[in-house]
Amino acid sequence: MRTVRAVLGVTGVALIAVGAWLLVFDTRDGTVPQVVLWLAGSVALHDFLLVPVVLLAGLALLRAPARTVWRGALLTAGALTLLALPLMLRGSSAGKPSLLPLDYPSNWALSLAATVLGTVCVLLVRALRAGWAGRRARNGRS
Amino acid sequence: MRKPALRAPRTRSSPRAVRFRGGLHDPRTATVIGRLLGVAVLVCFVTGLFSHVLQEPPGWLATRTPARPVWVFRLTQGLHVATGIAAIPLLLAKLWTVYPRLFEWPPVRGVRHALERISVAVLVAAALLEVFMGLLNTLQWYVWPFSFRQVHWALAWVLAGSLLLHIAVKAPLISAHWRRRSPQTLQLPQESDPDRRSLLLGLGSAVGALTVVSAGQSFPPLRQLTLLAPRHMDHGSQGLPVNRTAAAARISRSQLRDWRLSVRGPRPYTLSLAELRELPQHRVELPIACVEGWSKSARWTGVRLRDLLERAEIPQGASLRVESLQREGAFAVTEMGAQYAQDPLTLLALGLNGEVLNLDHGYPARIIAPGRPGVLQTKWVRQIEVLG
Repeated sequence: MRTVRAVLGVTGVALIAVGAWLLVFDTRDGTVPQVVLWLAGSVALHDFLLVPVVLLAGLALLRAPARTVWRGALLTAGALTLLALPLMLRGSSAGKPSLLPLDYPSNWALSLAATVLGTVCVLLVRALRAGWAGRRARNGRS
Repeated sequence: MRKPALRAPRTRSSPRAVRFRGGLHDPRTATVIGRLLGVAVLVCFVTGLFSHVLQEPPGWLATRTPARPVWVFRLTQGLHVATGIAAIPLLLAKLWTVYPRLFEWPPVRGVRHALERISVAVLVAAALLEVFMGLLNTLQWYVWPFSFRQVHWALAWVLAGSLLLHIAVKAPLISAHWRRRSPQTLQLPQESDPDRRSLLLGLGSAVGALTVVSAGQSFPPLRQLTLLAPRHMDHGSQGLPVNRTAAAARISRSQLRDWRLSVRGPRPYTLSLAELRELPQHRVELPIACVEGWSKSARWTGVRLRDLLERAEIPQGASLRVESLQREGAFAVTEMGAQYAQDPLTLLALGLNGEVLNLDHGYPARIIAPGRPGVLQTKWVRQIEVLG
């Protein structure tokens, strides 16, 4: 374990050094401060905007019936929305007819509708199963 | 239960300051999601490395990159982009799991701890920016002031390295939670096990959904389900999407009126389009695969490149420089190793899917070679010469 950890750690530091070298010496002038700013900005947006929103959603779901199913549904819908957002916000395709050729807002809505449909199916299956289990338990008792 | 209620214990003996009540902010969840994310990062790193080597091969590799299978780059770059997209929910879930550790108290407990936290900050920042940049690049949407290629490439090393370092630091914790029945896993609250499994199912559903609606831009069986990808296989002239149009490359019809292909070697010559059409024509089926992740197979007709080279008495081991008429863009001049130049499938294509190549696809003549990124399939070819 110790050797493996040491090898992993040293390799990791070496790769970081390669990356840092590439960043400093193999990019246009002025790149490093810009990249640092963007790195920090990504973390700030994630830690202080995205995660709090997710935590609030989790809080709202806390007492919902079938919470775990709805959590999966929200995860799926959220991921689809993150993927769809840049496609919808980009707007123009800069004179490239085959770039962004689809109706993304409609497709996004369609993908969310499919998510809802899938969720309803899962809920139905769960309800049916619970019903069967209940009946079996009652039949067993009688 | 994932109630994000913050409770800061005052005792000095407990280094963990903030408790997010309820489970799944635990090492077992972090281990399970982390493993999946680790595989995703590995796939992206290796396929990205391959793509980089194909585009900018170091001298000793320039003639050793593979021309077979013909779909090799289609596969690796399709995987690169699809895995990067699948990594979005995995990354966010992993970070959600460990989020309470952001508020550790005291924030720093010594030099070692400080270094560890810095390395985690680097890891998180690099991962978030790499995924975000990669996704926007598939739309050719450059909102940052720096070069995508240079920075995505450099940060890939930083990300891979800081991930290895992170695994080294966390190795005992990871191994103690590796299995469902690992001793430390069993010490977690019992109700967290079904909760965790349902979270993972939800995560699987998110990854599956993203893949289904986007992977069809390179994976034909999913083509009809392509809802949220920047390209669609069915959209593009002559049955093929176009990356750089003639207008974008500033190519006009008038510029092509007196077009002749120039081949420069020991016996240089030029040919008109009519003369090229008189030469033996070949038909190949080869994919165009773009670094942005989309790809599609097409039927090409044209003259075998090696026939043209032979006519100029260019030696078989020679690498080539291919020049385009285009004035804009980094790939107006490309280099080609002998393994592609001599390949019987490499054509100077004049036709595409049964029609004469249109202007956006590189009329009058373009290169099509097996296993190479689309940017190296030079369009509007003007001149071919021996390199060096």
